[in-house]
Amino acid sequence: MSDTCIELRRLHRFFGKTKAVNDVSFSVPRGHVFGYIGPNGAGKTTSMRILATLDLPSYGDAFVDGFSVVNDPELVRRRLGFMPDSFGTYRDVNCAEYLDFFARANGLVGRQRTQRLQWVLHFTGTSGMAEKPIRGLSKGMKQRLCLGRALIHDPAVMILDEPASGLDPRARIDLRKMIRELADRGKTILISSHILTELAEMCDSVGIIEQGQLLATGSVEEIQRQRAQHRELVVRVLDRADQAAGELHSRDGVGRPLIDGQQIRFEFEGDAESQADLVAWLVGRGYRVSEVVSHKKSLEDVFLQVTEGLVQ
Amino acid sequence: MSESISLPNSQTQASPAQGRSPQNGSERPASRATEIWERIDDWCERAGDHFNPILVKETRQALKSRQFLVTFSVLLFSALAWTVVGSLWQMPQIYTTPSAPKLLIGYYIVLAIPMLLVVPLAAYRSLEGEIDDGTLELLSITALSPWQIVLGKLASASLQMMLYFVALFPCMAYAYTLRGVDLPTTLLIVGILLVAALDLTVIALFLAPLSPSRTGRIVTLLMLLVILVLAEYGIGFLVISMILYGFQLPVSMVWFTLVSTLLISITVGHLLVAATAAQLTPESENRSTHLRLSMMVVTSTLLGIAVYSIETMGRNDAEEVFVVATMACGIVWGIGGSLMVSESPVMTPRIRRELPQSFFGRMMLTWLTPGPATGLVFAAVHVVVLTAVAIYGLSEMAATAGPFAARQLQGMTQVAILFAAYWIAALICVRWIVAILRVNNHPRVEIGIAALVAVLVLAALVPYSIGMHLNDYRAYQYSRWQITNWVWTMGEVGNRSGAVGSFDIFLVVAAVAIALIGCLVTMPRVVLPRKTATPDQVVKERQANKAAV
Repeated sequence: MSDTCIELRRLHRFFGKTKAVNDVSFSVPRGHVFGYIGPNGAGKTTSMRILATLDLPSYGDAFVDGFSVVNDPELVRRRLGFMPDSFGTYRDVNCAEYLDFFARANGLVGRQRTQRLQWVLHFTGTSGMAEKPIRGLSKGMKQRLCLGRALIHDPAVMILDEPASGLDPRARIDLRKMIRELADRGKTILISSHILTELAEMCDSVGIIEQGQLLATGSVEEIQRQRAQHRELVVRVLDRADQAAGELHSRDGVGRPLIDGQQIRFEFEGDAESQADLVAWLVGRGYRVSEVVSHKKSLEDVFLQVTEGLVQ
Repeated sequence: MSESISLPNSQTQASPAQGRSPQNGSERPASRATEIWERIDDWCERAGDHFNPILVKETRQALKSRQFLVTFSVLLFSALAWTVVGSLWQMPQIYTTPSAPKLLIGYYIVLAIPMLLVVPLAAYRSLEGEIDDGTLELLSITALSPWQIVLGKLASASLQMMLYFVALFPCMAYAYTLRGVDLPTTLLIVGILLVAALDLTVIALFLAPLSPSRTGRIVTLLMLLVILVLAEYGIGFLVISMILYGFQLPVSMVWFTLVSTLLISITVGHLLVAATAAQLTPESENRSTHLRLSMMVVTSTLLGIAVYSIETMGRNDAEEVFVVATMACGIVWGIGGSLMVSESPVMTPRIRRELPQSFFGRMMLTWLTPGPATGLVFAAVHVVVLTAVAIYGLSEMAATAGPFAARQLQGMTQVAILFAAYWIAALICVRWIVAILRVNNHPRVEIGIAALVAVLVLAALVPYSIGMHLNDYRAYQYSRWQITNWVWTMGEVGNRSGAVGSFDIFLVVAAVAIALIGCLVTMPRVVLPRKTATPDQVVKERQANKAAV
């Protein structure tokens, strides 16, 4: 069995002249959580729909567990749980009936179906709601139910399109825990979200997409390394802070310093070693450095740095 | 948030046997009842596994829905009310004279409204709702095939029909005991109602996914309402006539009508179900072969009925059946042919893998594979067969007709030949128009129907308008310049005016034959045998699935 569970190979999807997805390639290893981030209209949902066999690429192909979404969609579907950004629920149906229907639709029969249904209700925390009609559920509970639907046939790969949108903080934390637990159980998860802080916590790697093109891919650290080594440094100098700031500004890789009392805040381009050299140089010049704080860039910073805020 | 959860252990679950309590004699009957009940429940559960999941879900939904509750209650109340009112109305003659017809008409109306209006509309709304709510997409990524989805909806509608029918059965039995309508007529009424309701439901399901836009859906809903109201009126008229006046046809004609109606209902119903399933099938899969086979069956049925009528009936009856059957075939191939020639020429490797791989297989079955080139040949072959049957029918009728009618029928033979030639020419034009449109666009196959209409209108209108202009907008005589004006040309041939000679007809047929051969020559890639390998991984997976089944 291959280690790569999801693979997009030169994926293109055009709608007339609009290039919704333009030459996107990446792969996700088995058991990883891959965060797919980008502004609205960047092409995230289109790529996810192609992976879920709901749309066809104009060019290129995507593979789930080695099976092509174009040529063997029925084999892909068996391995795939898809949670779109809409709920997709039925009227006059309760939670247990809803899950039971999708279990049947996925070919589960007899005791296997009942056991799986119980497990999903328990896992998603909807056991107490089993007999309640879906229309009476809160958004958070509906989201859990939809996750349960995507999980009902025990797929190896899960594609979750904005699962946390509109959820309260507690529901988001619960969802994050569930996703992490699923990944620990060996499921490969492709997730898109706008809440980047949460993605950073649960994802093993991310892909940043804008205007249909993949701008960066890898772990947050890797993307930082790929990009220029910008980091924000805050140096506390006990005296002559103005003079120190002036001398720092003359150094290569140091951005315009801002002075706040004893603190000098500036952008620094360089790795950890050059940062150490800079501090040593400052001390060598006779400045009494009492504190050095280096701010590592968050996923949000990386996202803002990589993307330009363009929408198709 | 739940902790890691292990699957429920079957051994820890109480078995029915464990539920028994031998010490407590008073509980024994209750335990036994529980055991029996659990067995029934278990059996039902296992039986339910074999049902279409859509049927199970829709039945659960329907039994809880307000629409079903209201319809069923109104049906029961109306039936009861009519039983009381209808019986009292016919008192005291009800004891002495046959009184079934009036009561049966009332029961028919009570039953026909839910079966011919409510159920098809509910089926339409159900499939449309799946599209609107996004649940169809969720269904399409399950193990359910589009056919299962459509048949599930149809089965659910049929179940509702059966419930309505069973609810009204005692009333119909009561009406039968009042005499005046015999058993075959009663059964026939029920049969007509069931077949019509099923056909209307199939039409409703076919219309539901036809348009992706909301405006388009309003149009399809209006179309459906018009069809349902017309059907309600037409079938009501037929049934009430049957109740009041009995059969007005000879027995052989009744049987012929029944069998042919049933055959047409089944084959056209199958075609519409196949077309609905094709609409729900992703583009990467073969949506065409099943439809082509279904169209072939519909054509064979219609032509079979036409030929049978010619062979066995009198000329007047046969003529009506023959004209209706061949016209129906013409409509089927007009719409179907234009759709087939508008298909995308791009075939995914998946479709190619499923094509016949041997030379013999490709030689015999290539015309069933998707694509505009094969579609054109498939349609052309059927138009030619249709024309051959039409010519056969016309010659048979001419043999038994008088000299004047015989001459007219011979003229019709030339019209049939010209009709086929123009039809094929129009399909060739549509094929190339859509091919040009496909260069920079991705149009739906329905564009073929629009292109066909445009081609037919322009082919007649352009030469006629030029002629009018050249003749200072005065009436003018037919000339060879009007050869593409199919309406005028066929009219002249039908009237035997002599303006269109045999050479002109030959010219049209030859031109179309050359164009068709030209199309065949441009598609060697489709006809030549090719092998497309299936990946090993896919073969292994399929074998494993087969073994598991």
